[in-house]
Amino acid sequence: MTKSQQGRHRERHDPHWIEWLTGLFSALLVAAMLGWLTWEAFTRKMTPPDLAVTVLTTEKTSAGHRITFDIYNTATTTAAAVTVIGRLTEGGRVVEENDVTFDYVAAESKSTGAILFQNDPAGRTVDIHPAGYTDP
Amino acid sequence: MADAATSANDTKDEFNRFVTGLGRGVAGALFLALPMLMTMEMWYLGFTIARERLLLLLLVNIPLLILLAHRIGFEETFTWREASRDATIAYGIGIVTSLVVLTALGLLRGDMPAGEIIAKIALQSVPASIGAMLGRSQLGHEETGDDTKETPYHGELLMMAAGALFLSLNIAPTDEMMVLAYKMSIWHAIAVTLLSMALMHGFVYAVSFIGGHELEPETPWWHAFVRFTLPGYVIALAISVFTLWIFERLGDSSAVEIMLSVIVLGFPASLGAAAARLIL
Repeated sequence: MTKSQQGRHRERHDPHWIEWLTGLFSALLVAAMLGWLTWEAFTRKMTPPDLAVTVLTTEKTSAGHRITFDIYNTATTTAAAVTVIGRLTEGGRVVEENDVTFDYVAAESKSTGAILFQNDPAGRTVDIHPAGYTDP
Repeated sequence: MADAATSANDTKDEFNRFVTGLGRGVAGALFLALPMLMTMEMWYLGFTIARERLLLLLLVNIPLLILLAHRIGFEETFTWREASRDATIAYGIGIVTSLVVLTALGLLRGDMPAGEIIAKIALQSVPASIGAMLGRSQLGHEETGDDTKETPYHGELLMMAAGALFLSLNIAPTDEMMVLAYKMSIWHAIAVTLLSMALMHGFVYAVSFIGGHELEPETPWWHAFVRFTLPGYVIALAISVFTLWIFERLGDSSAVEIMLSVIVLGFPASLGAAAARLIL
């Protein structure tokens, strides 16, 4: 409990036990958080971005075809401006090539995106791969 | 006759005071919400924010406003009924101010879908309504000198939550938040955590602001640190998680990445919590 007088507040010397309990609980939470972060800081090795694409679905849209995919960054560093190139090939000949850029793919995280094609991917080889990134 | 004239004067006075209160509310809403009204990410959120999360934010704002009204209010409020009335007025001012400013800045156009326009105004009305409520306290709050009031412990914690929410609403939608979390190492995050707690405690107890808190001479400093600063910091972090979740900033990130962004946002949120204890 806090007493306010003439704009100043004064904390009571004899607080209710709930104040100590809340304080103790908070202290444990903060200590646990700091402990976990310190442990992570010592054990986690900084590795450069490691990007991999998993194709999810191929759907027809009103003006073409959409291929959705997940992009995983398994490393402990975030990649920025990640360019992903999608390519449709038929017998070694490139039919269509499109790309998309992710602002960020966070460390140990996944992002979802899609590439649009005008040609039908059915029967053709689809290749979707990350082409580059910058450091954030 | 004299009685009738006095009562007419009283009514007029009361009306004038009410209009002044409204004016201060609009001023407060403008001062405190303009940074958000002029932030690009806040406009985009108008069409990207998940509707159920926006609704939750709007609902959470109601008890918060009532609590603030009970504490400061447009008028000196004593009952929860009056506090609810003041909270409604503040929400109204927040909505109207957001509508006017967004329209004036050309961000609302007739060809936009209604859902987008409403979401944009609704989102901005939250900080604007808190600003409207604080306008009264910031701009000409008549301190009645010798009043001794006691704030219950949960009242202190709720005020810290309000302050933390206000500052994190300012900062959570910006891209800089995530960029900072991506750039920093875990050691940086630990440093930010310690800095946040030290500043929180320092602002409220060590630095002699008006509205600062004192300890009784025989109380050791760590008593207040454990009873107020640590719970305040945990509240600030919880509010950070809440706002990041509302604005869909957590994504599919790993636990460490989420923790880093929560700590980054926890820095302004904890200062907001400390400021709330000084101001309110």
